[in-house]
Amino acid sequence: MRLSDIMSRVDLTVWPIAALVIFVGVFIVVARRAFARSPSENERAAAMLLGDDAESM
Amino acid sequence: MTPSSTLDHASAAVGGGNAPSPAGMDRFVYDDAIVRKFAAATVIWAFVGMLVGIIVAVQMALPPALTWEVGGIRPLGWLAFLTNVEYLSFGRLRPLHTNAVIFAFAGNAIFAAIYYSTQRLCKARMFSDTLSKLHFWGWQLIIVSAALTLPLGITQGKEYAELEWPIDLMIAVVWVGFFGVNFFGTLSRRRERHLYVALWFYIATIVTVAVLHVFNSLMIPAGIFKSYSLYAGVQDAFMQWWYGHNAVAFFLTTPFLGLMYYFLPKAAERPVFSYRLSIIHFWSLVFLYIWAGPHHLHYTALPAWASTLGMLFSLMLWMPSWGGMINGLLTLRGAWNKVASDVVLKFFVVGITFYGMSTFEGPMLSIKSVNALSHYTDWTIAHVHAGALGWNGFMAFGMLYWLMPRLFQTPLWSKKLAGTHFWIGTIGILLYIIPIYASGLTQGLMWRAFDESGLLKYPDFVESVTAVLPMYWLRVAGGLLYISGVVLCMLNMAMTWRARPTVYEEPVHTAPRLSEQYSDEAPPASELYANLEAGKKLDVLVKGFWHRVWERKPLKFTVLVFLAVAVASLFEIIPTFVIGSNIPTIASVQPYTPLELAGRDIYVAEGCYGCHSQMIRPLYAETKRYGEYSKPGEFVYDHPFQWGSKRTGPDLQREGGKQSDSWHVLHFNNPRQVNDRSIMPAYPHMLTKPIDFDGLTARVRVMAMLGVPYGQAVLDGKAPEMAREQAAAIAKSIAAQGGQADLGDKQVVALIAYIQRLGTDISKPAPVAAPAAKVAQTAPAAKTVRPQ
Repeated sequence: MRLSDIMSRVDLTVWPIAALVIFVGVFIVVARRAFARSPSENERAAAMLLGDDAESM
Repeated sequence: MTPSSTLDHASAAVGGGNAPSPAGMDRFVYDDAIVRKFAAATVIWAFVGMLVGIIVAVQMALPPALTWEVGGIRPLGWLAFLTNVEYLSFGRLRPLHTNAVIFAFAGNAIFAAIYYSTQRLCKARMFSDTLSKLHFWGWQLIIVSAALTLPLGITQGKEYAELEWPIDLMIAVVWVGFFGVNFFGTLSRRRERHLYVALWFYIATIVTVAVLHVFNSLMIPAGIFKSYSLYAGVQDAFMQWWYGHNAVAFFLTTPFLGLMYYFLPKAAERPVFSYRLSIIHFWSLVFLYIWAGPHHLHYTALPAWASTLGMLFSLMLWMPSWGGMINGLLTLRGAWNKVASDVVLKFFVVGITFYGMSTFEGPMLSIKSVNALSHYTDWTIAHVHAGALGWNGFMAFGMLYWLMPRLFQTPLWSKKLAGTHFWIGTIGILLYIIPIYASGLTQGLMWRAFDESGLLKYPDFVESVTAVLPMYWLRVAGGLLYISGVVLCMLNMAMTWRARPTVYEEPVHTAPRLSEQYSDEAPPASELYANLEAGKKLDVLVKGFWHRVWERKPLKFTVLVFLAVAVASLFEIIPTFVIGSNIPTIASVQPYTPLELAGRDIYVAEGCYGCHSQMIRPLYAETKRYGEYSKPGEFVYDHPFQWGSKRTGPDLQREGGKQSDSWHVLHFNNPRQVNDRSIMPAYPHMLTKPIDFDGLTARVRVMAMLGVPYGQAVLDGKAPEMAREQAAAIAKSIAAQGGQADLGDKQVVALIAYIQRLGTDISKPAPVAAPAAKVAQTAPAAKTVRPQ
C-alpha cells in the first residue's frame, strides 16, 4: 500500500483541524512564556539597542 | 557615538576587525563600508525598478492615446515603440518591474539594515569581509542578469520566480553560501548573549526564503536558458503561491519588521513598546504566514479544503500583523512631538500605518466572497502597491535618511529636501492607489453585472478595459510623483556623500567576550503539588524557560523557526501531492503536441500570464462569459501552470476554437486591427521570427522525464518532424482564409497551435485504449475542427 493510498483514506478535515490545534498549542506556550518573563528582563532586552553605539573607546 | 581612536587598517583586518586586547576585552570596528554599498544600491535600484513601473503603467493606458490629436498632430504618437517593440512589451517588462522592486530595491534595503544592525546588536564585526563583498557583488550580478534576461523573454513563467535556472542557482549560492554563512557566523562570534528581537526576524527571513526558493524552483533544464518546473498544474500552482505569498511574508514583511524593531527605537530614542508583544507576534507571524498561500487560488482548481485552510490562517494572521503595527506605533508613545520635526519618524509612522492597512486588507481579501469580486482585478494591484510603496518603500527611505549622516559622517545635506520627498511620496501613493482601487471595483462589478434578462450586461470584455483607462492615467501621475521623491533621495544621498570626510573615522568599540564558562540559570521548579511527574514537567515546559534559553542560542532558535515553517508547509503540501482525489484525471486530456509545446513556451516567454488567466472559476458570471469552469485534471501536463493572477485581458482557458487562425495572425500582428479598443501589445516579430524546430527534441524529452507521455515523440528527429507537419497544416489554413502566406516556420503559428488547443480537450471523446505513445503522434491530425 502506498502513502497516497493511506492518505487518501484519511478524512480531509483532519488536516485543518490538526493545523489549528498545533497553532493554538504553540500560541499558548509562547504567550505563557512571554508573560512569565520578568518585567526587568523585558526592559533590558528592549533597551539593549539604544546603547549599542556608545561603547567605543 | 563617543569620540574615539581608530583601529589601524592592519589590525582591523585581523580577524575581520575583531582584534583581542590584553585586558580580556575585545576591540573591534564595524564594517560600515558594506552598509554604504547596500544603501547606495538601494536608491539606484529603487529608481530603476520604479522607472520600469512607470513604463508599464504608461503601456497599459497608452494604445488609445496614440491616436489623440491636438491641432492636427499626435502628441503621444512618438511613444508607439512602447506598444510594438519585442524587448519592451508589457509581458516582458512587468516581471522586470516586480523583480527589480522586490529583490533589487527592497532586497538591498534589507541587506543594508541587516548589515548595520546585526553588527551592533551582536557587538561584532561581520564574520567575513570577503563574504560581505561576495554577497554584495553577487546580488548585484543577479539583478543585472535579471535585467538582461527578462526583456529577452528568458523566464520560467512563475510570478516573482521568473528567473531561469542558472540565475536561480546563483541566488541559492549568494543567499545561503555568502549571506547566510556571514550572518550566522556573526551570530556565533557575538559578544551580546541575548538575541534582540530584530535578529529573530532576520533569522526567520534567511531560513524561510532559502526553503521557499529551493523548493519552488525545482525544475529540469532543457537548455542553458530554458527549464520546466518539476510540478504541474494544481500542484505547481500550490507550490508557486506557497512561495509567492511567503515571498511577501519573509522578504517584504519579516525583514522589514526587523528593520522596524531596530531603527524605529533608535530614531525615537526610546525602547520598543512591548517586548512581550514582539515575542508573541513573532512566533504567531512565522507560524501562521506559511499556511496562507492558498488564498491566492480561491475558486480555482485547487482543492477547496486547501483554499479554506489558507483563508482561515489568513484571517488569523490579522492579529499578529496588527501586533507588529501596534508595537511600532506605540513605541512613539510620549514622543509624538518628535514626529512633527523628524522626517525619519514621519517616514516610519506612515510606513507602519500602511503596514497596518495592508495587513487588514490582506485577510479581508482572503475571505472567499470578497475574493470572488477582487481576484483578477486591479484591487489586488492597489493592495500590493499600498504595501510596497507605503510599508516597504517608506520604511526603507526612513532608514536611509537615518543612516546617511551616520554612514557618511556628515550632516544630511538637506532635511528640507527629505521633507519634500516625504510629502510628494505620500501624495504619490494616494494618487496611485485610490484610482486603482476604483479601477478594481469597476472591473469586478462590470464582469459580474447582469441585465434584466439575465444576460451579461457587459459581454464584450474590452468595455471593462475602456472604463478604467482614466484611472490608469492617474496611476501614472501618482507613480511619477513617487519616483520624483526617489530622485530627491538620490540627490540627497549623493550630496551628503560628497561632503564626507577624506577618510572615514572608524570608531573602535570594546566589549567583553562571551564567557565559555557561562551556564544558563536553573530551570524553574514546578509549582504543582500532588501531581504526576509528567504533569510537573509539563508545568515547567509551559513556563517557557526553554524559550529564554533559545533566545541566547541562535542554532536552536534557527532550528525552531525552520520547524515552524516546515511543519506548517508539510501539513498543506503532503495532502495536496499525495491524495489522489485532489486531481481527478480526465481521460480526454492529452499532452500538447510538440508544436503546441513550442507555442506554449512562447506564451510563457512573452509573459502572457501577466494579463490573461487560464482559470475559469465556478461562478455564474464567469461560466456565462467564458464557458465551462476549469477542472483540476485539465492541467496535469502544464509545466509550469499558467493560471495567471490578473485579467487585464479576458481569460483564455476556453479560447481554443473561438477564433479563426487568420484572426489570430491579425491579432498578434496588431490587436487594434481586430479590436480598436484593445490595449494589448502588438507582436509583429512573431510573424518574422522562426520556430526553433530543432530545439524541440530536448524540450519534449524533458517533458517526458517529468512524466508527460510523449511516447515516440522523444525519438531523434521525431518532435521536429511532427511540429513541421502541424505548422504546415496551420499555415495552409491561414492562407486559405485569406491570411498571410508562408508562415509555416514562424513563431505565430506555434502560438496559434497552442491557443487553439486551449481548453478543448475536455469536450473531446476519451481515446479508446489509445496507447500513450500514440497520443502525441496523432494529436496534430486530431485537432481539425475549428469554426472559421
